[in-house]
Amino acid sequence: MRLVIIGNGVAGVTTARNVADRKASIEVHLYTKEPYAYYPRPRLIDYISGKLSVENLPQYDDAWYQARGIDVHLSQQAMAVDPQARKVAFADGHKEIYDSLVLATGSRAWVPPIQGAHLQGVHTLRCLDDAHALCRQAEQGEPFLILGGGLLGLDTAMALRSYGVDVTVVELLPRLLPRQLDVEGAALLQQAIEARGVRVITGDACSEIEGDAQVHGARLGSGRFLPAGVVLISAGVRPKIDLAQEAGLTCHLGVVVDERMLTSAPAIYAVGDTAEFNGRVWGIIPAALAQARVAGAQITGQTDVAYQDVVPSTTLQVTGIDLTSVGEVNPEAGDYQEVRFLDEAAQIYKKLVIRENRVVGAILLGSRSDLAAVNQLVSRGIDVTEVQDQLLEPDFDLGAFVRRASARSA
Amino acid sequence: MSKWECLVCGYIYDPEVGDPDGGVEPGTAWEDVPDDWLCPECGAGKDMFEEMS
Repeated sequence: MRLVIIGNGVAGVTTARNVADRKASIEVHLYTKEPYAYYPRPRLIDYISGKLSVENLPQYDDAWYQARGIDVHLSQQAMAVDPQARKVAFADGHKEIYDSLVLATGSRAWVPPIQGAHLQGVHTLRCLDDAHALCRQAEQGEPFLILGGGLLGLDTAMALRSYGVDVTVVELLPRLLPRQLDVEGAALLQQAIEARGVRVITGDACSEIEGDAQVHGARLGSGRFLPAGVVLISAGVRPKIDLAQEAGLTCHLGVVVDERMLTSAPAIYAVGDTAEFNGRVWGIIPAALAQARVAGAQITGQTDVAYQDVVPSTTLQVTGIDLTSVGEVNPEAGDYQEVRFLDEAAQIYKKLVIRENRVVGAILLGSRSDLAAVNQLVSRGIDVTEVQDQLLEPDFDLGAFVRRASARSA
Repeated sequence: MSKWECLVCGYIYDPEVGDPDGGVEPGTAWEDVPDDWLCPECGAGKDMFEEMS
């Protein structure tokens, strides 16, 4: 049996590994249009900040693929899939026949329709080549303007500060990280980021990127003009669905899959940022890993393994700002309670969202000390009725409570 | 006690250091790290780690 995987990001490479580890008899062909072996995308930030050299960025070398019998094909872009003939056509003209196909094409940086987005000096950040380009610009000392105050925009802003360049982040919404934070948390995070030399403008959007051939700056909705030599558009990602769409597979936001990770076409699976399950595209590593595990099991004949949605958990860690956001942090109206702890002087903010006596969401800002306990409260669904009001009190031993409660239920 | 590397992001679990923030005391062998412990860098589970030679 011949398995073809398109995409060498975390979803693709993990599927390959899961299949190779389970069944040596399956021939695994892993294709990527990039010229690099697998590197963890979040580490691009460490590369930009200078924490990690480019030589140390790839996580696997040729030997890693070889040892598992995975045939990796670099710089090979898939152009078309023919589900009837079970063939994939590549940019260099060759075709590959598959018994099973996994689409792990990931996502692309989304560029909203802004005038001037085509100008020289306007960038997005998604792959290593993008990061190289940003570093070259930062070396020249150009002031940066980052459009979008999401996780990637903020991480990149902080990383670019290591070059000593001016960095301004513009966020359309009135606060940073609206999905991962509440109002109080966002205000505290903004203070911490500004204290590290990044200018943050919220509640204003770029209406036009200005320049001749080269970008000069951006005009905001408020009329204000911000000069910049580089504009980084960080407005989120969209699943890459072109291949699937042109092959006639059912797609909405992403490539639609069922709980087996199967698309609407026989023997074609989709995993990671490109897959849409239950109307949702998570775009986070834990979801990609869980999906790759299911696809790997299905392909190797373990057909009773089904995908269940993960609890979203994001961790932002940039030069001393610790932020973790787990599950539901901004619950919609309904029956829930919140427990909070704020130490403004120490810039620590914690919040737990509790529904039906169980913690369903959490924000931990400025501290990682309760991280494990909070993750376990959520993932193990521990009943917190008896200690609800004490959970975040400084002298309450949350870790010990979780251990006791887990032991009781075990 | 051997070190373990996260295959997703390259984080290295060193038993001597443990992961105190993640609830794992220094000196904890890999086998004794809780099954629902997650990689502090990328959120991958224990099954994504490989023993370092």
